[in-house]
Order: sequence, then C-alpha cells, then structure tokens
Amino acid sequence: MDETPVDKGGGGSPDAAPAVGIGSRARIARIFVAMPPEVVLIVVLVILGAIFWQGSEFFLTTRNMRNVLLSVSVLGILAAPGTLLLISGNFDLSVASAAALCGCIAGIVAEENSAAAAILAALGVGLLAGIFNGVLSAYAGIASIVVTLGTWLGYRGLARLFSNGQTIRMNGKVEFITNDILGVPAQIVLFVLISVLAWFVVRYTRFGRSVYAIGSNPTAARLSGIRQKPTIFVMFIVSGLLAGLAGLILASQLDAASGNAATGVELEVVAAIILGGASLSGGRGTIPGTVLGVFILGIMQNGLTLLSISSFWQDVATGVVLVAAVGLDQVRLRLSGS
Amino acid sequence: MTTENGALNQRLELRATGLRKSFGGVEVLHGVDIAVEGGEVLALLGENGAGKSTAIKILAGDYKRDAGVIVIDGEEADIRSPRDAGAYGLRVIYQEFSDAPDLTVAENLSLGRLPRNRFGLVDWSRVRRDARRILEKLGIELPIRTLVGNLGVAERQVLEIARALAGSARLLILDEPTSALTLEETDALFAFIERLKAQGVAIIYITHRLDEVERIADTVLVFRDGDAVAEGPVSEFGRKEMVEAMVGHELVEEVASLRGEDHDIGEAVLTIEGATSEGVFRDVDLEVREGEILSLFGRIGCGALELAEAVFGLREMTGGSMRVGEQSGQPTSPKDAIARFGVGFVPIDRKIDGLLTVLNVAENLSVASWPWMTTAGLLPPRATAKVFERWYETLDIRGKGGATQSVDTLSGGNQQKVVLGRWLERESRLLVLAEPTRGVDVGARAQIYHVLRRFADKGIAVLIVTSDIEEVVRISDTIVVMSRGRVVARHRASDVDRAQLIRQAAEDTVEAAAAG
Repeated sequence: MDETPVDKGGGGSPDAAPAVGIGSRARIARIFVAMPPEVVLIVVLVILGAIFWQGSEFFLTTRNMRNVLLSVSVLGILAAPGTLLLISGNFDLSVASAAALCGCIAGIVAEENSAAAAILAALGVGLLAGIFNGVLSAYAGIASIVVTLGTWLGYRGLARLFSNGQTIRMNGKVEFITNDILGVPAQIVLFVLISVLAWFVVRYTRFGRSVYAIGSNPTAARLSGIRQKPTIFVMFIVSGLLAGLAGLILASQLDAASGNAATGVELEVVAAIILGGASLSGGRGTIPGTVLGVFILGIMQNGLTLLSISSFWQDVATGVVLVAAVGLDQVRLRLSGS
Repeated sequence: MTTENGALNQRLELRATGLRKSFGGVEVLHGVDIAVEGGEVLALLGENGAGKSTAIKILAGDYKRDAGVIVIDGEEADIRSPRDAGAYGLRVIYQEFSDAPDLTVAENLSLGRLPRNRFGLVDWSRVRRDARRILEKLGIELPIRTLVGNLGVAERQVLEIARALAGSARLLILDEPTSALTLEETDALFAFIERLKAQGVAIIYITHRLDEVERIADTVLVFRDGDAVAEGPVSEFGRKEMVEAMVGHELVEEVASLRGEDHDIGEAVLTIEGATSEGVFRDVDLEVREGEILSLFGRIGCGALELAEAVFGLREMTGGSMRVGEQSGQPTSPKDAIARFGVGFVPIDRKIDGLLTVLNVAENLSVASWPWMTTAGLLPPRATAKVFERWYETLDIRGKGGATQSVDTLSGGNQQKVVLGRWLERESRLLVLAEPTRGVDVGARAQIYHVLRRFADKGIAVLIVTSDIEEVVRISDTIVVMSRGRVVARHRASDVDRAQLIRQAAEDTVEAAAAG
C-alpha cells in the first residue's frame, strides 16, 4: 500500500501531518482522522435518511423500515461470514449461487417429503458446498477467489439443472420459516442474531482474533503458532451453511424455488463488507461496519424506489455511494499516516 | 552511445567529499570521502552498519545527504533522486533483481525505451539487433529470446549489469554481488568485471569478503562506525590490516559487562547431533544450555539460518537428531515447535515474518500465548491488554497509544521488542533469534541485549543466528562459527578474537578445518 504520508505543505513528521496549524480546519481534520470508520457510515446513513425523508413521508414509517429490514436480511446473513472471510483475506463469491442451489434442493425434496426433510436437505447441501470451497481454498492451496469464482458458476449451473430451469412451487410447505417471532419476521430475527453472534466471535474469541492475525500477516501468524488451514476451512463451512439458510428464507418468502434466485447478491455482499470498512488485502473490517454497509445498500434501494427513480439510476447511485464511502475512508487512513 | 576505444559509454571521474548523514538526530555517516574513476574497481569494506550502504545510497540518490559535495568529471553534481544519479551515469546493482522476469532478454535490454517503427509499433527486429550488439560489445553470451525468469541467478546478475550499461551507466555500484553465487559463477562474474574495467567502466564493489577484495579490487576503502578509517591500493594491505581496520579495538571493555560469566550455566536445553539438511548444512553438533546465549556466527548462506529454521520446524532435517529438554525429535511445524518443544522464534525480517501488521501491540505481544489465555474459546480484549501491561515496562516499549496502538506505527526497535516479548510471554524455554538487531537503532539494540541477558539469567536458553560481529562479541557466552554448512570453530566468549572470527567465517571449510 501507499506508505507516503500526505504532505499538506507544512512538512513535518507523518503523525503531525493532519495538525498543520491550529485553525479550525485542522481541528476538523483531526476529529475526522480520530473517528472510528463506523461513525462515517452512520453519518452517511443519516444524510441518506434525511434526503429520503424529505422526498417521501412514507420513508420513516415503521412499515417501511420493516420493509427495508426484510429486504436486507438475506444480504445481512450472507455478509456476516463474508466479513470474517474477507478479514482473513479470503472471498466466497459462490454464496448466492449456493443459496439458489439449496433453495432448489429444498423445493425438490419438499415435493414428496416433509418440510423438516427439505430444511435438512438445504442445510446439508449448503454444508457440502462450504466443505467443497473450504477444502480447495484452505487445503489445496488454490486462491479462494478463484475457487469460488468456479463454484459461483458451478453451483448456479447445478441449481438451474436441478430445477430444470423452471420455478419450483412449494405450496406453502416452508412458508413457516419466515413467520413472525413475537411480531418480528423470523428472517429479521435471524439477521440480528447472526450479526450479534459474528460480532461476538470476531471480538471475543480466539478464533476471531486468529482470523485477523491471518489476514494481517499469514506468515507471522503461522510463525506464532496459529493454525491457518482449519480456521479458513471453518469459515467456508459456516458460509456454506448460512447460504443454505438464505436459500430457505428466499424459498419461503416467495413460496417457490428458482435456479435464478439471488442473482448478483454475491457482489452486493462484497459491496456491503467493503462499505463497512474491510480491506480487500485482509486484516481490516468489522461486523458493525458490515451491518451499516448492508443498511446503506438497503436504504438506497428503498429510498430511491420511493422517490420513483428508475432502477437503472438506482444502480448508478449505489455505485457512486460505494466508491465515495470507500474513498472517504482511504483519505482518512492516509491522513492518519498509517 | 559507443565511444572511440570500443567501450559503450564515456569514462567518468567521481570525487565525493565530506558526505554526512543523520537519521533521527543520530549521525551515521561522519563526513566520508569517496573517489573512483573509469577503469578502477574500488572495494568498500566494512561490517554491517559501518555506513557503506548509507554512503552508496547517497551517491545513488536514494538518500538526501546532510552535507558533502559530489563532483563528477570536474563539475559539481546535483544528485537528489535515483533519476538524477542515472542521468550522471551512476547505477547501483542491488541483490534483488529489477528486471522483468516474464519478458525476454532482448526486451529487458530495451526496457523503458523500446524502439518504435514509423507506424508507432514496437520495432522488434531493432530490439533484437540492439540486444545482440550490447551483449557482443560486453562479451556476454546470453540467449536473447529466452525469458529472463528462466535464466540462472548469475546470468540474471550479468544481464542486470548489461542493462545498466545499455542505459548509459558509467559507474556501477555492486552491492555484495556474489552472495547468492556459486564459486564457478563468481569466477565468471569476476572475469566479466575485469572486461568492464578494461572498457573504462568505474566500479564500486561492496563486500565483506576479504578474498574478493584481493582478487578484484584496485583500491580499498574501509568503513567503521560511519567513518572511512583506511584507504589505499589493495596491494598495500594485508588481510590482517584490513580486518583490523574493519573491527577496531575500542568496544572491548563494554562487551565484557554484558557477558554472563559469573552465573552458572545449567542443563542442556537444546541438543543437536549430526544435523544434516542436504545441500544446506551438514553434521552440525550443538548444545545450548539453560542460561546460555550461544551465537551461530557466519556469513549469509553459511547454513546457520537454515539450522535455526529446522529447530523451529520450518525445515526438515535429513539426518541427525534433535532434543529440546526431554522432548526428542524434530518439530513438524512452528505450531509443534511452540506447543510441544517450547521454542520461540524471532524471524530475520520482522516486517514480513514477525509482525501482525494492522493489529495492535497487545495482540502482537500475546498472539503466541492465545491457546493459554483462552477459556472455552473466549479471548476478551481485556486479557490481551493485561499482557501489554505485564511487558511494556520490562521491555520499555515506547509508543504513544498504549496497548491498542497499531504495531505498524512503532519504531523498528520497539517492534522488535514486541516480537521478542511475544516469546517471553509464552514462557519459551529456548529462544531462537535470527539477526535480532538488524535495522534496530543503537539504543534499542542495547535494550534488547539486556533483556536477553536478563532472561538467560532466569534460565532460558538463547540461540542467536547472526552475521554481525559486533553482536557476537557483545552478547554471547559461546560462539560457534559456521561456513558452507559446517561448524568450523567453537569459542568461549572469554577467549574471543574478532579478527580470528571473521577470518574463520570467511574461509572455506577445508582451510579452516586444516587450520584448527
């Protein structure tokens, strides 16, 4: 990475760079540098919220917020293991394809069997998909981005193959998965639970800290006695299992399974994680950041729809916000001289 | 590009006077003069840290000098960047290659200035013609259509020099060019240097190998502690004079204070017998005991570093036996070495292999002990912060941010203390350190030595691999000299003679063995 501190004309040592002079601009710059990245995201979120609230009275209603949560829950569930993987320097690009595959398997099994069998089948296939990714990435030494680019295609192909290219109707069999729990839809509860669990694991467990260590410097981690392969393997398994869960939620929401479900969601997952402050080169990233990233993406989509802006322009706007937010964070890092 | 007497480029005359340089308030180069001219090979001789590389980095425009004048061909030269130095015809050939391994020899020779034809496309026939002409002129035989990555190390080095000359270099600065070469390759390189000399190229040759100075250099300039301490035609120097100039005699008293002669050395912690790893080291016997600091001294490539890697489970031994305490056998992985054998390892390059960059100081200190600190998988931040509190005073880790400061933002010396502290926290019984004070400032270096000594006194066994003679004499109880994969000498620290150590490390096994 670029190690050169930004010289703001005053010269001096790198840590003095943001504090050139004692003017208010310098003070603002210092506050900006000292802020945790999550604060930047919250500011972005609030600004977006204010804009949409101005444009539509419906935006800030409970019902609409519930809609936003419903629309991002699958994204959020997939982004949790994705964040851990990216912190360790790994990718799982196959999650959306795996979710579609698991959904289709659930649909096929549900035709002649109980809902429990369908759920087990979906989670089982998700587990297998994760094991396959994990074995190749962790133990066979193939870069995970390559492995999961392959399975991104492969799992999607299998999903379409099993569903025969058709939508599989589930006739209400798995609808109960997304029933309300104490008045809150189950997928939102799952999103919250999984995010909290992931946050806890990342922050308070040896496993979580090992993930950071591996992403920060794999060689140093190995020389410190951290076992890299099992750690990466476990993350892929979790990612696969949660892809199975995501597939079930999608199938339940639509009461149908399709080989084309969740197309493109894998990149939304990566976008949310990056937005949340993770670095593509590993070692950096947080779960609260990712959750905020997920919310920003969801609110963009929801708000722009309420403002009746065409979906094409929505994509453009989301792209701009993504690059701008990451760019802002880069400026912050550069100013802090690290 | 071609001049009258068949040479590629004009002769040059360089005269630098009073070069000074400080880092962070500490002067490391105290007003040094360097003079060299076309057709001359000037050897820069000196131990690590003597100021050789600082001096050439000033000439090459990598460092800005604090004082001094550089005169080239009678005119004062304004060198502020490597680009400026290149414009005057000064080029450094570093040990790392700067070529493009995936391109052919011919294209590498025209890299950055590929000729184009009238359609604006690359003129490949001219690229090949130029390449043949340059190689012919220099008397080199290299297949011009071969990919550079497929060449041998020696061939790539020669190509690197040819590229510099094709880019109109007139003064070549060679930085320990033979460190990765076999004897035959070294002969070939020297023959090539002789030819360049005859063609009027000026050469500054950096080395700490005395035999090479005698073979190739016309004049020698010896550095010690940032000063040029001796200079003159090689013919007027004997080996003994050169070594004396390199080593000096001042620091001897200070050394004694750090040695642990008064305390008892206990039972054997590490025992190695007949250790062999094909082509790297052979029949090495070694014993490091409780409370003992043992230095494995040798030049880069002598096999000591590889032996240390074997002790830490990073390299398989093909023969011999190893034992740490009551654990016999060789560790299969670093994890095994840490957990089962209780070995701690401070690697040679802390930036690349030692530090968990981005993570904070407390986590870097505690990482090897995580398995101990964890209950039911939990590792609260408070626990790692406690580790920091335990060590920052003992190790005098100086940083503004305390436990949560990112380890990237510490100075080199403090970073090294963190890597060392990692193994003290882990309560390793054997510490293996590779070049522990390379790139560490003088103050931190002394602190690291004191910490090592203190923990040795508590019963830890310490094995240091080093090519730094200063380090050897300052810290060791026992010194084992290695050369070409074998142990060539063993000394008690009390009867050590620097000149003798350097000679033993520099000579071939056969001679040394014959000598004693």
